[in-house]
Amino acid sequence: MTDVQRRTFLKSSAVALGATMLGVSFRASAAAPKARVLVVGGGFGGTIAAKYLRMADPAIRVTLIEKDSAFLSCAMSNEVLSGERDLKDLTFGYRGLARRGIAVVQDEIREIDPAGHFVRGASGSRYNYDKLVLSPGVSFRWDAIEGLSEEVAERFPHAWKAGPQTTKLRQQLLAMEDGGVFIIVAPPNPFRCPPGPYERAAQVAHYFQRHKPKSKILILDAKDAFSKQGLFQAGWKEHYGEMIEWVSGAAGGIVEAIDPKTGTLIGQVEEFQGQVINPIPPQKAGTLAESAGLTDASGWCPVDQRTFASARHPDIHVIGDACIAGAMPKSGYAANSQGKVCAAAIVAALNGAAAPEPSYVNTCYSLIAPEHGISVAGVYALEGDRIVDIEGAGGLSPSDADARTRAVEARFAHDWFRNITADMFT
Amino acid sequence: MRHRTRLSMLALGLTASLAASAAGVRSPSMLANTCAGCHGTNGASAGEQMPSIGGMDNGYLFSVLSDYKTGVRRSTIMGRIMKGYSDQEIWAIAAFFAEQPWVSTDRVALAGPIHVGRDIHERQCESCHEDGGREQNDDSPHMAGQWSGYLRYALEECRAIGRRCSPRKMGLRVMDLSDEEIEALARFYESEK
Ligand SMILES: Cc1cc2nc3c(=O)[nH]c(=O)nc-3n(C[C@H](O)[C@H](O)[C@H](O)COP(=O)(O)OP(=O)(O)OC[C@H]3O[C@@H](n4cnc5c(N)ncnc54)[C@H](O)[C@@H]3O)c2cc1C
Ligand code: HEC
Ligand code: HEC
Repeated sequence: MTDVQRRTFLKSSAVALGATMLGVSFRASAAAPKARVLVVGGGFGGTIAAKYLRMADPAIRVTLIEKDSAFLSCAMSNEVLSGERDLKDLTFGYRGLARRGIAVVQDEIREIDPAGHFVRGASGSRYNYDKLVLSPGVSFRWDAIEGLSEEVAERFPHAWKAGPQTTKLRQQLLAMEDGGVFIIVAPPNPFRCPPGPYERAAQVAHYFQRHKPKSKILILDAKDAFSKQGLFQAGWKEHYGEMIEWVSGAAGGIVEAIDPKTGTLIGQVEEFQGQVINPIPPQKAGTLAESAGLTDASGWCPVDQRTFASARHPDIHVIGDACIAGAMPKSGYAANSQGKVCAAAIVAALNGAAAPEPSYVNTCYSLIAPEHGISVAGVYALEGDRIVDIEGAGGLSPSDADARTRAVEARFAHDWFRNITADMFT
Repeated sequence: MRHRTRLSMLALGLTASLAASAAGVRSPSMLANTCAGCHGTNGASAGEQMPSIGGMDNGYLFSVLSDYKTGVRRSTIMGRIMKGYSDQEIWAIAAFFAEQPWVSTDRVALAGPIHVGRDIHERQCESCHEDGGREQNDDSPHMAGQWSGYLRYALEECRAIGRRCSPRKMGLRVMDLSDEEIEALARFYESEK
């Protein structure tokens, strides 16, 4: 890096107009850094990419740019809906990462200039990079369900990004009268957290059972099958009897429109009315990835699945929900695993080495009841240019597990959350 | 010791084969970093029932991970995960975690149960788990400073299968422990940093 470049960088990151440094301030090391890596998005993928870059090569200067002052986890947010957890338990700050020597900056990136190798934030600041990692998560296809919009979602919350939306849905469930109907509109594939809508149904049923036992839950699905389906359906029945009803796409579950006044859902065959409506919109890569031209016709980002380098701009890497990652689902665990593979590939490239042979894992735990956990796991390798399942590995919790095992898995689910968030934020 | 001979021979062969190949081989850190989402960064767990694994004995890790893969050791999820790795890879993973520092829980000890736990330990367990579970080798795990949640879970598992618990001699003793005794033992090992 030339002196001029370095000076520009220091100026842009330290004197950032309106951009705040989150957490503990970092001390610029006297020696020139080997390279500058910017990570945009401090969630499941971005925190990990930043931390593992730092761990592998402290000579690389790592800056993490996140638009919010703290992270709110979607994982475990269904437990907020049942009242098992408070949003506070899902909120994490960036001090731990700052202590590791990562410059953490609060700013919302609005523009990427791949040719100039810089990004620009809402604060007006410009940040230069040698390598850029994006983990912006998802955005919603508001046009997919007629009548649905960001504004309408204020009244009919999706709660598919944790925060005020989660609180709103919880309040609506609290306010609902016993005997009401709660409707979840489940999105088509691919989407963030494939088991999420079905875990949500179980968590809300757990709440209804204790407080509003005459109520019903209806899942209107765009799909004809879903993640861990057998385990969910058996678990629903075991704990909640007939409270949860799932309508597949083929059976009329596809929702085409919503009446923004009444919340009436217009399906292909009939109309549905409920007291609390939770339309989870179809999804695509986070807005930033789309506006930077990193997406393809599918709305997601094609990448080299060995390194997560964008197929559009090789010095930009995209990880997490936003990228197309072969057989891996869009989950927090997958984003974590991809962040590590991406970090290792960048460290190799910046040190003149070949991209390493990757290894990836995913696990998603779901909680059907406080003492009933289930899981799905996947172990992956790169075959040709695609991430594939390693045959014989991974799979579901057994369908015939006893109650003790389900309780053990529920505790492991909570410990998974402890550990993955510690991996991200400490 | 049960596995020692088999292990060291295997280790020699594996180390040689690892050094010989390069392209297409997944590095120890590449393989092991995938475990951190459940076991914590470098295998230092944030609790409670999820075990810390960083700093455990190389040979012990290799044999336990292989036993998960083959199903010899029962598990809720480790069996499904370990089936994704070759023996060479399992060796590399074991070696990676063996090199990490052991991090004991920071949990404050409760005097009552610890006293009871130490007593049972000295009578029934010390012969194999020496120095309060601090002593480890390729046959027995690091238990001092482990999360009591995991130790309780492991002992309950062992009790549930009784004489089929490995090693059998341990199963025969654990079989007769009450919930309170298991809790006391778990708290005792946790407090031995
Ligand atoms: C209800 C629910 C339950 C779930 N449960 C689980 C579970 O149990 N296990 C699991 O593994 N996964 C779970 N998930 C999925 C998981 O939350 C996502 O897959 C994960 O968050 C993806 O990580 P990411 O890094 O791609 O995005 P995120 O974690 O969403 O991180 C994106 C970050 O980027 C920031 N950002 C976006 N754009 C910009 C910008 N322009 N400038 C600056 N910052 C920006 C955002 O503020 C955010 O902090 C669940 C999801 C939901 C909705
Ligand atoms: C999805 C979470 C998850 C992942 C990923 C995971 N583990 Fe585990 N691990 C567990 C659980 C849960 C147990 C307890 C046994 C069981 O029920 O599966 C365990 C137990 C263990 C034990 C036994 C500890 C002892 O004291 O005997 C070892 C060793 C271990 N894991 C190593 C690993 C390694 C190495 C990896 C990565 C290759 C890994 N684990 C990945 C959840 C996980
Ligand atoms: C005969 C020797 C022997 C005796 C006696 C013995 N153990 Fe063990 N213990 C072992 C061995 C060997 C292992 C490793 C098992 C394996 O490889 O799966 C082990 C493993 C364990 C584990 C970890 C299990 C896991 O799944 O992670 C615990 C906890 C434990 N012992 C506790 C005890 C307690 C408590 C006692 C006394 C009541 C006891 N042991 C008595 C040999 C013994």
